[in-house]
Parts: sequence; structure tokens; C-alpha cells
Amino acid sequence: MDLKKLFLPILLVATAISCDVSDSDPDTDLETPATYEFTRNGESTVSFTGQTARIKMAMELNDAMMDFDNSTEELLLQMYRNQTADGGNANPFSRQILNEETKSVKEKVAASEDFFSSNTAVSAQIKSDFEEWISAQVNEVFPNENVLAEPGVPGQLADGTTARYVNAKGLEYDQLVAKGLNGALMADQMLNNYLSTSVLDAGTNREDNDNQVLVDGTNYTTMEHKWDEAYGYVFGNAANTANPLPNLGDADDFLNKYLGRLLGDPDFESMPQEIFDAFALGRAAIVAGDYNVRDQQAQIIREKISEMIGIRAVYYLQSAKNLLNQESPDYGGAFHDLSEGYGFIYSLQFTRVPNTNQPYLTKAEVDGFLAQLTEGNGLWDVSLETLDNMSNDIASKFDFTVEETAN
Amino acid sequence: MAGVSVFNQIITMKKIVLLLLGTVMFWGCSDSGPSGTETDDFDRQAILVNWADNIILPAFEAFAAETESLNSAANDFTTEPNAQSLNSLRDQWLATYKAWQHVSMFEMGRAMDIRYRDNMNLYPVNTEEILENIETGSYAFELPSQNDTQGLSALDYMLYGLGADEASTLEFYTTHENAEAYRAYLSDLTSRIDTLTDEVLGHWQNGYRDEFVSNTGSGANSSLDMMVNDYIFYYEKALRAGKIGIPAGVFSGSPLSNRVEAYYSGEYSKELFMEALDAAQNFFNGTHFGSEQRGESMRSYLEFLETTKNDQSLAALINNQFENARNEAQDLNNNLAEQVNTNNTDMLMTYDQLQQNVVFMKVDMLQALNISVDYVDADGD
Repeated sequence: MDLKKLFLPILLVATAISCDVSDSDPDTDLETPATYEFTRNGESTVSFTGQTARIKMAMELNDAMMDFDNSTEELLLQMYRNQTADGGNANPFSRQILNEETKSVKEKVAASEDFFSSNTAVSAQIKSDFEEWISAQVNEVFPNENVLAEPGVPGQLADGTTARYVNAKGLEYDQLVAKGLNGALMADQMLNNYLSTSVLDAGTNREDNDNQVLVDGTNYTTMEHKWDEAYGYVFGNAANTANPLPNLGDADDFLNKYLGRLLGDPDFESMPQEIFDAFALGRAAIVAGDYNVRDQQAQIIREKISEMIGIRAVYYLQSAKNLLNQESPDYGGAFHDLSEGYGFIYSLQFTRVPNTNQPYLTKAEVDGFLAQLTEGNGLWDVSLETLDNMSNDIASKFDFTVEETAN
Repeated sequence: MAGVSVFNQIITMKKIVLLLLGTVMFWGCSDSGPSGTETDDFDRQAILVNWADNIILPAFEAFAAETESLNSAANDFTTEPNAQSLNSLRDQWLATYKAWQHVSMFEMGRAMDIRYRDNMNLYPVNTEEILENIETGSYAFELPSQNDTQGLSALDYMLYGLGADEASTLEFYTTHENAEAYRAYLSDLTSRIDTLTDEVLGHWQNGYRDEFVSNTGSGANSSLDMMVNDYIFYYEKALRAGKIGIPAGVFSGSPLSNRVEAYYSGEYSKELFMEALDAAQNFFNGTHFGSEQRGESMRSYLEFLETTKNDQSLAALINNQFENARNEAQDLNNNLAEQVNTNNTDMLMTYDQLQQNVVFMKVDMLQALNISVDYVDADGD
């Protein structure tokens, strides 16, 4: 055999392997558990109640953003902060158990160890972006509930038989908040905090985990718990948290829901199982004290969750483009897609390229895209070319094509 | 190892080729002009002329006459509300609702711009909102959020849903403390139905007809492609799903009897469905409105192309399938709400027959006519 011929394929494979962590074959006996169930002395060691609570809080906030009759700016901000404006105890939620929590959505927005622990000015800016959107919903959109929207005027637009409520630039603030939290809260906490060695291996975590030193009053080691908290941001509100894939998509309006959407696209339908398997194997590796396998799984999760956010961003941009590109442009449908897309683009700054300390798109790149969507009269002015260029730019950072996102 | 390498190489190359291909295709698609070429030398304009002059315009003219009568029947009733004027109004409402089934599918031109169908016949109606509108006397029907408080479906509620029987219905318009507001709302409903219809008909009469029949090309923006797409969209969403599938629980898992058309009057939902089924089949066949005569149509186009499926004429298969759906529906209860509550299986079987024609038309026919589907299902949030 011609050596050159042999060399080229090897080179290509080498390149492929070095950038595709998911195919790595760890030298280990660990099996991937079929369910996310782990016990010690016959009792479960799995816990992510804080994540479940924040998902529920965020879902109540989502609903309240559209409750024109009952919501006030004060109430919505209290839902975001779970506090009054001066830091006092607030009871904004319909579920009493959430009111009793001291946790809040806001405290974990843009709050990861890796990205924001020494970047607090940006963190504060991001936290307040959400407050601005919440306030503007009440101050700009609520008063125009019964006005037809047009360029420069907030109000209603028809999207099929649904009425959408947009600001003067055609954006739905509730969608900005809901889709933005996918990145700013869930992905950031998961990818850049709980799955990071800076958190998993903080202090004496490794030693404690090796020696089964449990957190006081619990049945888990700190490291086990950190990993579970990452898991909780995708599967924490599932009906069956140990075996969440059969009902994937039903658990929340955030990562779980959009992970479920991938099942409908043949190009990406295997991703949910891959993400679940990585969580389960990584957790088994922590129990076994195999930190190499653990970290390999963390990289897989970073890659796939990030990719999912990228896929959704491009999907909505393209869907909007198609709705605008017709004789009678469907502004209501397109603006709804672009509002969702805006939130997912915003979320891209919280993604994480495996084995780096970088997001797939920087904050500056994200801000650049968002500025293009909001300049002038905003969505009313946006060109099809802009949407295509943006789609291509985003897809080029990932391992998928614009065409593949179309389902 | 060598074997694995080659395999991986193939994968990698495939990816690159796919990527390149994808990029090329992507740029190819981003041109906004009409795409596709003439499939054949069939006279497409002959179809457009037949549709416009023998079906669409006559159907709209007939419907506009009904909406005008409806408006005056409502005026008679509100001027002198009694059992007789109520029954006249109810009769005229039913006649109008049946005529509506012949124009509902033509959601193009001005009808598309004003979202005519959503303003005329969205159901279930929002009764809470209707009562609030009556209470406050303040409402703007042109707002999208008011789609489910108006139209023929809102009249169904106003004429049959307020009271349990004729006498108690009349009370709302006579002795009720807010009777004047009820009468005013009723008048506003019929007046808007009439006004919107005049607007759509007027647009067809004053220029749009000529624009429509002269846009003879092929491609996404040609009249033929747009009309066929609108027709199939109507068949799939409004007829198959709206009238049968949604109440039968096809999309929700369990039956939703309150989702039938004309729910409050009770006994007309099947009749309206049958009327719509006839209208849809007539349009496929190019049958002139109010006559047996046929002209150029999707059917004659398919026959010209001699399109077959499993060695059978596709046009014949589609007509046969319309017939199957009609036969299956024949034995349904006049009140489809009762039907889904007592024997939903028969309702589901009707749905299955309707669904088969989605396949014949949306897949096989569109392929034969070289027309691309121009709508996608929303992702539902």
C-alpha cells in the first residue's frame, strides 16, 4: 500500500478525533447507567431541589409576564428577585413552597464561577438586562394591550390565531426573558459552574469524595451534589427525574423543552440520549472516583448543550426569514420567531467550547447581532440578508449547517 | 486500524461535501424570485379564469348577498325582538354559515391581508370576552385578540348560547337590564361580517381578478401555486382538523366536544362540514358555483398530465377519497359534539378518510404539478 495514501486518512482521523470528544473511548470498566439513580446505604444520594425551585420560579415569571390583568412591575420584579425592592421578604409566587425559598432566579443569572466570578460588572449588566425587559413589558406593552402594533408603536400583532404583544421595535419582552434564561441561568450554571473542575474539585472535594465524606445532614459528597445540580437544570422538573427521556420536553419551558424539540429533527435526534448518558456516566465516574471519565463527560455536555442553543437560534432566524419572504409578510409570526431567536442568540454568550474557557460566541459578537436586530425600527426593518448572514455566522461556529436546523 | 481510518475518511469527506453542497444549495435558494420551470404546456391561465369567473367570484357574490340579508335580519330583530324575528335571524344565520363554506378556502388577496377567515369563523369563541365586551361596550374588532369574539361563530353563541331555549334567549334582548347592549353587540357582529365581506368581494371585482388570472407563471408567487397551497392549507387545517380532527381529539389525545363548529346551536355541525366537503371537492373538480358544469381545474390538470398512483388515475383517487370521507361521515350524528361524546371511533374514522386525501393532494398532486408547499407547521409556542 502506498504510504502516502495511508498517511492522509490517518491525519484526517487524527484531526477528527482531536476535536470530537464524544467518540473518546475511556479506558475504564464503567458502564453508563440506564437511569439517574445513585444510592448509598440504600438511600438516594441525588439532590437538586434548588434547580427544580428556580425552574418553577422562572415558569411562574413567564406566565406572569403575559398576565395583563393582574401583573404589576413590582410583582414581576419580585418574582425575578424573590425579594422586595429593598431586599425584604417577598411572596410573589402562587406556590407557597416557592415563597418559602430563600433562593431566587436573579442570584444565579450570569453567576458562574468560570465566566463571572471575576467579571462582576458584566454579570451585573446581564442581571439588569432582565429587569429592564420585565419593567418595559409593564411600562411599554401593557398600556398598549388594545392597540395594533406598527413600526414605532407597541401593541398587538396576529400570529395565526394568536395575538402577540410586541414593543415599538417588534420584540416580545416575555420571549426575551424566557429564552434568555436558557443561557443566562441554566446553561451558565451548568456548563460554566457545576461541571467545571473549579467547582467540582474546589477545596477538599476530591479528597472528601474519595473518602466518602458526606455533607452534614445529607447522604451525598459535595462533588456528587455539584454534578447533580448541573443535571437539575435540564431534568430537575421532570415527572420522573431518574428516567426523564420518555417525557422529554414536558418538564419546563427551558432546556428540557428545547432538548425535546431536537427529537423532531433527524439531524439531531440522538443528542438528548447522548446528553443524558454523559450525565449518568459522569455521575457514576464520581462514585467510582474516576475523574478523567467525569471530565470527559462534562466536555460532552458542554458541547451538546451549547450546540442545542446554537441550533435553536439559527432555526428561529431561518423560520422568521421564510415568514417574511412572501407577498404578504407574516410579521406576527416572524416577530415571534425573532423574539425567541433574540433570546437564544443572547444565550450564546453562556455556551462553552469543550476544553477551553471560551463561549462559542463572545459577548461582543452576541451584542453585535442583537444591535443589528434592534437598530432603527428594529424587526420592522430587518432584512432577509441580515437574517441569513447572522444564521451563517452562528452556524459556522458550530458543527452543524444552517440547513440542518430547518426542522 | 487502516480499515477504521478509511471509514472515518469517508465520513469526513462526506461531511465536507455535504457542507459545500449545503452552502451551494443555500445560496441557490436565497434568490427571492420565482423558482422552478414550466412542467408542461398545459394552459394554466384557463384554470385561473375558471376559478375566478366561475367559482370564486360567484361564490363571493352569493355569500355577500347572504351577509347583507343577515345584517338586515339582525336589524329587524334588534328593532323588534320577538320569537318570529329571532327565528328569521337564526334561519338567515344558518344560510349564511352554509354559504361561508364555499368561500372560506379562498384566503388570498385582501382576504389574506385582513385575515378574513380568523375574523369570520374562529371557534371555540371566547364567551367570557364576549360578555365583557357587551358589559363594557368597548371593543375593537380589528385587534387580533378579538378574533374569537366575533364572526359567524360568535353569532352562534349570541343566538343559541345565551339561554337554554328560545324564550330565555329572547330575554337577553328584551327584558335583560343590559338588553340594549346585547342588541348593539349583535348588530355590530352582523355589520362587521357584511363589511369585511364587501371589502374582500370589492377587491376581487376591482382589479384583483385581472391580476389573479394574468399571474400565470409557475413558481412560488404564481397564482396557481398560491391558490393550490391555500386550498390544501384550508383542507388540512380548517376542514380536516378544525371541523373533525380537533373535536375528535386527534391532536390532544381525548375528545374535545366543545370545539365543534356551531357548538351552541348543536344540530348544524355535521351539515356545515358536509357543505364544506362538497365545496372542497367542487373546487378540485373545477365545478362551477351553483351548477354541475365543470371547467379547468386541478383535476383536469392531473388528467392532462396522466398522473397515476399505483396504476390508478390520481384525479380519480382523490375524487374517490372525497366520496369515502362523505360516506364515512354520512352516519355521524347531526351534532358532532354528541358524536364525539357517544362514539368517537366513527368520528376518528371520518378523520382517517379525510387524512388520506391530504396525502394524495399535498404529496402526490403537488409533486405532479411541481408546486412546493409554502407553509410549515409552527413549532407551537
